[in-house]
Amino acid sequence: MTITLEVNGQRHVVDATGRRLLAVLRDDLELLGTKLACGEGACGACAVLLDGRPVNSCLLLAEAAAGHEIVTIEGLSTGRASALQDAFVAEDALQCGFCTPGQVVSATALLEQTPGPTREQIHEAMAGNLCRCGAYPKIERAILRAAGDA
Amino acid sequence: MSSYARPASVDEALELLGHEGAVVLAGGTDLAGQIDRGITTPALLVDLQDAGLGGVSADGDGVRIGATVTLAELARTDLLTPYAAVVTAAALAASPLLRNQGTVGGNLCQHTRCWYYRGEEWQCWLGGGDTCFAQIGDHRKHGLEEGDCISAHPSDLAPALAACGATIVVRSADGERELPLLGLYRRPTDENRSLVTLAVGEMVVAARLPAPPDASVYLRTGERRTFSFPLVSVAAARRGDALTLAAAGVANIPRALDPAEPLAGLPGHPQSAWKRTVLETLVERASQAVQG
Amino acid sequence: MTARFVRTQKELEGRYEDVWVLVDEADDVETWAPDADLALVGRPAPRQDGAARAAGRVRFTVDVHLAGMLHAAVLRSPVAHGRVRSLDLEAALAVTGVRAAIGPESELSLTTRAPLLAAEPAYAGQPIAVVAADTPEAARAGLDALALDLEVLPHVVDPQQALNEQRFTADPSDDARGDAEAALAVADVRVELSLDTPAHVQTPLEPHAAVASWDGDQLTAWVSTQGMFSAREELATAFGLRKDDVRVRTEFVGGGFGAKQGAGFEGLAAAELSRATGRPVRLVNDRHAEQLDGGRRAATRQTVRLGARRDGTITAIDADAVIAMGQGGWVMPVLIPARTLYHCADVRALTFPVKINLRAQNAFRAPGVMEGTAAFEQAIDELALALDLDPLELRRRNHTDVDQVSGLPYSSKHLLACYDRAAELAGWAGREELRASRGDGLLRGMGCATQIWWGGGGPPSHATVRLDADGHAHVVTGIQDIGTGTFTGAQIVAAEELGLPLDHVRVTGGDTGPNVYGPLAGGSQTTPSVMPAVRSASAKVRKILLQLAGDVFEIAAGDLEISNGRIRSRDGAIDAAVTEVTDKLGNATIDGSGSRGPNPEGFVVNTFGCQIAQIAVDPGLGEVRVERIVAVHDVGRIVNPLTASSQVEGGVLQGMAFALSEELVVDPTTGVPVNAHLDDYKIPTIADVPEIVIDFPHVPDANLPNVGSKGLGEPPIVPTAAAIANAFAHATGRRAAGLPLTRARVLEALA
Repeated sequence: MTITLEVNGQRHVVDATGRRLLAVLRDDLELLGTKLACGEGACGACAVLLDGRPVNSCLLLAEAAAGHEIVTIEGLSTGRASALQDAFVAEDALQCGFCTPGQVVSATALLEQTPGPTREQIHEAMAGNLCRCGAYPKIERAILRAAGDA
Repeated sequence: MSSYARPASVDEALELLGHEGAVVLAGGTDLAGQIDRGITTPALLVDLQDAGLGGVSADGDGVRIGATVTLAELARTDLLTPYAAVVTAAALAASPLLRNQGTVGGNLCQHTRCWYYRGEEWQCWLGGGDTCFAQIGDHRKHGLEEGDCISAHPSDLAPALAACGATIVVRSADGERELPLLGLYRRPTDENRSLVTLAVGEMVVAARLPAPPDASVYLRTGERRTFSFPLVSVAAARRGDALTLAAAGVANIPRALDPAEPLAGLPGHPQSAWKRTVLETLVERASQAVQG
Repeated sequence: MTARFVRTQKELEGRYEDVWVLVDEADDVETWAPDADLALVGRPAPRQDGAARAAGRVRFTVDVHLAGMLHAAVLRSPVAHGRVRSLDLEAALAVTGVRAAIGPESELSLTTRAPLLAAEPAYAGQPIAVVAADTPEAARAGLDALALDLEVLPHVVDPQQALNEQRFTADPSDDARGDAEAALAVADVRVELSLDTPAHVQTPLEPHAAVASWDGDQLTAWVSTQGMFSAREELATAFGLRKDDVRVRTEFVGGGFGAKQGAGFEGLAAAELSRATGRPVRLVNDRHAEQLDGGRRAATRQTVRLGARRDGTITAIDADAVIAMGQGGWVMPVLIPARTLYHCADVRALTFPVKINLRAQNAFRAPGVMEGTAAFEQAIDELALALDLDPLELRRRNHTDVDQVSGLPYSSKHLLACYDRAAELAGWAGREELRASRGDGLLRGMGCATQIWWGGGGPPSHATVRLDADGHAHVVTGIQDIGTGTFTGAQIVAAEELGLPLDHVRVTGGDTGPNVYGPLAGGSQTTPSVMPAVRSASAKVRKILLQLAGDVFEIAAGDLEISNGRIRSRDGAIDAAVTEVTDKLGNATIDGSGSRGPNPEGFVVNTFGCQIAQIAVDPGLGEVRVERIVAVHDVGRIVNPLTASSQVEGGVLQGMAFALSEELVVDPTTGVPVNAHLDDYKIPTIADVPEIVIDFPHVPDANLPNVGSKGLGEPPIVPTAAAIANAFAHATGRRAAGLPLTRARVLEALA
């Protein structure tokens, strides 16, 4: 089925038949920041914002995503996300960087909902974004820093 | 490759469900995995997002929860605050990303958890084959009941709703029926391996809760602090002196527990018997938590 | 450059080989003094490419998209042992969009020692066939069309059964010194401990991946690898190419942890299919394939017997390890901790590498030593208990400054300082009070463990530096930054030596094209191998720059110095920006190349450390919560404390997960792993993170010239599981029969 997707404020017409949103983003729209790491909703590396809320794009049918506002890491380049990214770099909240786009997507949504999160709230909100390199302690610090600087 | 439809009403959805190989799509968080692992091969995906099945509303003394309400929405809905077990279950299930997509209906109807059932390399009994590989193999995370299938049902919401006295509203082209929450589930048999009592052409449209209990709680333990299926979980609700208990992770469907004898009918298997200790602990703590 | 060849020993994870090394006798870099006031080295600096990573702009191998690229899909064995009866390659080729299909009987243009594809697969997940097609969907359809018919053969996955049947991947080894049996018999005190450690899967978030593309007889391969020069070598050999006709690119790697070595099956298969079709080919493991075939740390069953005198002197060590190797692989040094952690003249170490129907073991961060420490350090604690001695005190009493296997002294060893510092940070003195109930129903305890590992690096390792007219330096290395921050380390060292601000220096690597060799990212060797080469190259450029400045300012070069981008004379008369000299270069550059010199002779270079874990156990649930880990590691000079602490946190978290939850489980009936997906193989989330307190002695290794740094990649994972297990024993008074400390094991131990 050919559908129209709204991604990062732009409309795209794609052939979505049976495909997940992640595949359409990466293969059709060349938005390579969102990653396929597990394909089963277990790691969050594929996180995008759907109407402002983070979801696993590897599970989401592209057809089901039509009619919603999709924002990927590429769309988070100004304002709060940029300050968050600066905090990630300053705190070294990343190592190999593969999970980082997903972390930034979830953290952006968190700070949008909860501008001054507690450590507990950070743990709850970020639990779906795995990091095998172990940058968690610094991811927490980066989010607190970005929240504090806001 | 499945076809896709997005009906604009429940009636339209039911009509589409009548097609051969049609399957309901809500959040898709469990269905996607079923499709990828070859457990389900739908010919048609009926996407319910626009069918008017959302929303949480007051319903007499109780609450009505639409089937496509997401777990995240459920956890933050004020109307549900008096049902602490339900809110906790919804807030602790899965991950925040999955809670933004996964729905009440989907969580209740999700398939069970067993690494043989979910694994492509085995065609186990529940999947239509002849052998329960868990019973002859590694069943360390499995259920405590005896039977043909010893998988452990993972729904957090089911025991919480059940303990709070919820019912399920099911609709088909022929009309609507309402049943107690645990009535949604059945034991799989040789003739029919399904774990839900839905007939072809039927779908869950809502969960209804009666007036809130005096107190309720949901306790679980998983494989890590969060983002884990419940290895064992217990929901407890008290109305006056009456205690209602339900559990996940101990049988292939969500299960009520007898407060007088919570371990009854749950002898365990050699590698899963440790769950009995944990179940006892959770029952004790949950019961204490709901006492005045 | 005054070039000479010298013969020296290169060490990698305790394996020594003789190599020729190119040295430059004109390299006169003075080792930085331990108390040198360095402008940049030793100060925290953000990653050079951090902003790009945080914005999702960096391109990993899985992100490489080339025009006309084909997608490969791999048919993998669904059984632990089988024989292919039929495979319909023709049917696959007939599927629309499929451009190539190869199986075990196909004639391939490459040659490998072992067949690329298996006619008789010996483990679940072993590749049998590969299909390349225009789209991933067509490739999957091609796989289905292959209609694999497999005869199922018997399998062995139980290591005990393999041992009983004497199935080995290599000869069992007996590393003995003295007479452990006799010493054990006469010891005042004896303890014995038998433990299982789990199969542990690296699980990098970027799976193994490769994209191969030919241009005539020249091959370019993007490979998600830790060893691009090994990959180049393998590809050149496999296809009979000149090395300079092969270019391997691996600028960004989404985690490796030891699993990604050389070209891998992915690199070879992608290159083969690309050659056959004339189009670029992309081959990426899906997660199931990654967990089945990406590799793992092998499960072990270890038995440790210790003998000691009443005064705490260890007099006998007798250890054995059965390692569930799989189909082969390096026999990792599981018993090195037993043989080298402490002073002891009478030691026996028996290793049985058993063959089972699983993928061959490969490296996972501190392979062998980590799982060996997990068992041995628990036995040491049992000995402390039997002797009624403080566990740290027992370790202190058996400290050695001499490598117990070779008899050579260590180049540096600040382990005693690590014990003291860790004890201080952890509140070790209050350990017994910790066990008192706090009314929350939890049992608390504290445990320690010693870390030993290699990490001296060595030659060969080279770097080049070019300084341009704008005063910007480009450092070219041959390293892979797999998340360790080594590019940034090189940036810091170069900027320090050149006297430039950090952001005037750019480091590149991850490309064999420039043919500047660097070691693989493994064995904790990058920092100690590469930083000296970078510094040497920078020193040459600095020397030339000062000579040119002398010409410009008409002053002796020896009277000038550079720091923070400014050139100053000693008398203060000249204070000018570097560009006042370099802008006369025009389009020319000042160039320097440097190489890592030989390792000091007569020493063993090891890293050391101590970790202390504080845990809480919920006895009703069998749940272990790690509250705090203190980690103190002696790794010589720390170049970048910011990325260094990240390495420690990463290692600790992986070690913690090994102790608590991670285990690859194999179905006994079919021999197929049951949890080769992420839904049932649980790695930690942010909610599982304990407080991690980190410190270093910060004493440069005076016997490692030039920079004085040792490697840090692996040390932090080594002692964590042991410390947690020892804390568990302290909290509960019981010891679990193995790791991980699952609910079942904990409840069994407490019963």
